[in-house]
Amino acid sequence: MLQASIRRFLDTIRSGLNTGFVAGLVIVFLILLGIPVEIENIALFSLFLVVTVAAVSLARRLREKPWTNLIKNSLALGAAAALIVLLFMSLINRWQARGIDVKQYFDKVNAQTVYLLSGVPEEELFANPTRDPLTGEYPEGEALRTSPMRLTFEKENGLRLFKLNLRIGGFYGFLLLLILVSVVSAILTRLTIQAELGRYRQQMSAALSGNAIAHWVILLLPLLFFLLLWISVPLGNREPILSLGSSAQELQLMISFGIILWGLVALRAVQPSDWNLSYYTQVGIVLSAVAVLTGLGLWHVMGDKMYFLATSDDPNGSRNISIAAMITIGLIAAAVNLWSLRSSRRFETQFTSTTVALALLLMPLYLDQFQNSVLAKVGIYVLLGLGLNIVIGYAGILNLGYVAFFAMGAYTYAFLSSDQQQIGQDGKPTGLKFAGNDDMVMQIAGWMTIAAVVSLVVVVIGLRMWRQRQTTRISEARPTLINLPERPSGGVTLLLTAVAIGTSVAVALVLQNSGLYKDIFGRVSPFFIGLIVGVLVSAITGIVLCIPVLRLRGDYLAIVTLGFAEIIRLMFNNLRDYTGGPQGVLQIPRPLPDNASGTITNIVMLYLVFLGAALVAFFSARLRQGRIGRAWNAVRSDEDIAQSMGIDLVQTKLLAFAIGAAFAGLGGMLFAARQRNIFPNDFDLSVSIEVLSLVIIGGMGSIPGVIMGAIALIGIPEVLRELETYRILVFGALLVVMVIIRPTGLLPMPLPQLRERAESLAKQFKPKREEQA
Amino acid sequence: MSHETERPILEAKGVTKRFGGLVAVGNLDLTIKRNQIASVIGPNGAGKTTFFNCISGFYHPEEGEIRFLGQQIQGLRPDQIAHKGITRTYQNIHLFTGMTVLENVMVGIHLSLRSTPLAALLRNPLNLQEENAVLAKAYDLLDFVELDDQADMLATNLAYGSQRRLEIARALASDPRLLLLDEPTAGMNPQETEATTNFIRRLRDERDMTILLIEHDMSVVMNISDQVTVLDYGRKISEGTPQHVQKDPLVLEAYLGTSADKVDVGLLDE
Repeated sequence: MLQASIRRFLDTIRSGLNTGFVAGLVIVFLILLGIPVEIENIALFSLFLVVTVAAVSLARRLREKPWTNLIKNSLALGAAAALIVLLFMSLINRWQARGIDVKQYFDKVNAQTVYLLSGVPEEELFANPTRDPLTGEYPEGEALRTSPMRLTFEKENGLRLFKLNLRIGGFYGFLLLLILVSVVSAILTRLTIQAELGRYRQQMSAALSGNAIAHWVILLLPLLFFLLLWISVPLGNREPILSLGSSAQELQLMISFGIILWGLVALRAVQPSDWNLSYYTQVGIVLSAVAVLTGLGLWHVMGDKMYFLATSDDPNGSRNISIAAMITIGLIAAAVNLWSLRSSRRFETQFTSTTVALALLLMPLYLDQFQNSVLAKVGIYVLLGLGLNIVIGYAGILNLGYVAFFAMGAYTYAFLSSDQQQIGQDGKPTGLKFAGNDDMVMQIAGWMTIAAVVSLVVVVIGLRMWRQRQTTRISEARPTLINLPERPSGGVTLLLTAVAIGTSVAVALVLQNSGLYKDIFGRVSPFFIGLIVGVLVSAITGIVLCIPVLRLRGDYLAIVTLGFAEIIRLMFNNLRDYTGGPQGVLQIPRPLPDNASGTITNIVMLYLVFLGAALVAFFSARLRQGRIGRAWNAVRSDEDIAQSMGIDLVQTKLLAFAIGAAFAGLGGMLFAARQRNIFPNDFDLSVSIEVLSLVIIGGMGSIPGVIMGAIALIGIPEVLRELETYRILVFGALLVVMVIIRPTGLLPMPLPQLRERAESLAKQFKPKREEQA
Repeated sequence: MSHETERPILEAKGVTKRFGGLVAVGNLDLTIKRNQIASVIGPNGAGKTTFFNCISGFYHPEEGEIRFLGQQIQGLRPDQIAHKGITRTYQNIHLFTGMTVLENVMVGIHLSLRSTPLAALLRNPLNLQEENAVLAKAYDLLDFVELDDQADMLATNLAYGSQRRLEIARALASDPRLLLLDEPTAGMNPQETEATTNFIRRLRDERDMTILLIEHDMSVVMNISDQVTVLDYGRKISEGTPQHVQKDPLVLEAYLGTSADKVDVGLLDE
């Protein structure tokens, strides 16, 4: 009787035990392979990671089963993993104590495998001493590797709440931690699966509808993550409410990634719910969230003197401007919500996007310089990823030379702004001057900026005027869907171009002669000129490089684009007299007073990167939906058929390349401004590969996917910096696993579900058409 | 308008396409009148699909000229030809994989749209109006081919017959004046074949469309065609009404390889 019930119990948790067993073995292997033995900081993360992955796979397997089953199983998972690790570690330690050197066998596996896989030479990986081949002894005083491997997770360094030490440590602490991690990961994964992972949105909303708790959990998670961050950082003179111990820096970074990731998941998962909240309730909920977040920000600015904007008079931060900016942000958020909540079905989206946007704006104020710079790096890669996503994810053109446009953007900005003077070996200036101190070049750049702005205005106005004349005589060649004129003919285009050029020249001349030019461009920092010119130059490079690859497909395309990237890099490397060669370009200015403090510079650069990424994400989303987005989609799916549907391949591909390149140029320009110094080696092949991998891992064609990919591939390795040597190994493994388990990426693009809308529109249009007939 | 109906919609004169030494289509003349169903038949390898590819711009014929509504179209790119008003379907179904049924049709409407990327970016009123019209039209077309219930499915998940109909709907979306159908009933059972035959007839009668058809199923060809052209080894061997072609000894020889008078003509009726 008892036996039977025990067996039944074991049956229900078998999945958990199995997964836990495997996870435990993996942890043991990792420890033997050289991950630091002390269960602290980084090693703790790797344990978390393994257990998390195991819990994720468990949750996926059990997704149809009831919740109790999932929780029982994830408890079993954590316990099994912990027991296996402890068992093996105590065995190994016992053997070590008796003088049996277990580790030496693994050292061999370790060194050779890692060398083969990563290419990192053995000497660098293992600075530890090796046995003397004659005596079999370790050199004196250096018997580091023979020391027993202990699990040291000290109670004293454990988690703290306020000043209270939770005294989680030692054996039980370890056990508890693994169990906790596995349960939390399993539950989060289950929620995610329910909410998002289907490609069909209807399935998601079906899974969520009627489940108010899951709904609210998903809505509130970004906010909860933000509050977690808030209580874990020291504010002003106050101690943090929740002390995260010695690995606080990394944990806080993980939490800030959590804000972004759960924001993305929430934005995708939430569907208009069945509850009919009145307009005032909705407004009330959203506005109180805005008030809480803005209030926290204001408190930090005023109470803790966290001034995040600087002027040249107040290089360490201006109180009034910071407060004004914070209040403005709150007011804008409130106004936007008041306006857009009028259509009732947008409450969930509005709530999530508002809280996530505000949390993102406040986050940099609570993080330190290192954390902010990691976020900025992730942001720049998001920018690059979104650009490449247009080329490869939308239009399906495999581009391995994407770094070329990144480099063009960075160098264009560097040339236009750096005031560096190269000093030769004899101590005299070498004559290499950058545009930053060359009036002529700056003037040309200024004119280019004027031309770009004026031409845009002229073309937009001209086209509108031309169209108004045209509406009276609709083209007979091919009826348009709605009453729209034909595209402008060649003559009109030429005329418009001529007018645009003429006006630009005239405006430039007037500005120049009236002395207004100096007034305007003397004040505008090179940053904004560099922004426009850098993006333009990258887009033009994109078009020029695209022309030869238009006819190529597949492998050939990859090879040719790869070649381009190397040509551009080598050009910057070898044209010493013009580019500074391997010494790079130094002293690139930022859009800030020269004497602004480091913290403020970091925060402002991060905001600029966020702004750029948001803009690019917005552009991508909009472009995807219209005529050009469908054309890209069709070209990716089948070029020939797309062409026979009337899609102009040349135009479509050129546009994808140019837009992708422009985004990369923006990324490069921000990169140069952030780094201050750039070198040709910053732009080698590995950047292309990393961007490509993050697009593939995140999910080709999916904007949230790219952001998630950037966090997974760029952000997490920064957190696990001590494992740097294993990064390529992990990279490769992750790619392989991804391609097998989730070939469409972490957050693939859901299929658009347009039927209902199409049906109602069709009904709307029908009477009109019958009238016409 | 009467002038329009008299003028042939497609005229091919002396069209020749060679692959190396092989003459796939040799000196072919073909004229199709407006609002007719014309069929091209012939044994396998007779050059029917090659001829289609010449019309739709995938191949450029070495000799001869093809005129569509009086304009020369040989040498133009496929998208330019589509712009003139010729759309085709394929022998092996070619749908856009990874897109929904509705999206497939929406791509077909591409030619009638004018929105620039800038307009899509700013989402100006004209662009919104156009996008709504696209959705409505695509839905109407799906309604026409009776696929409206599956609008949100992946196109590749449709049943075989439905995929064929979707391909035709996508072709119709571009409002062609001439529709080229490459074996629309291949792989269908008798019921589906009959439905498709009726469907093609409806296209001519209700949508005022001219249709050029490649087909192996003789019952379909003889049933709906106004004009039949028979190819063999790239050359035209017979042309005329279905009745005329059925009795042409050259045709029977091409199909059966024997002297014609000994064979029952009814074989072609199956």
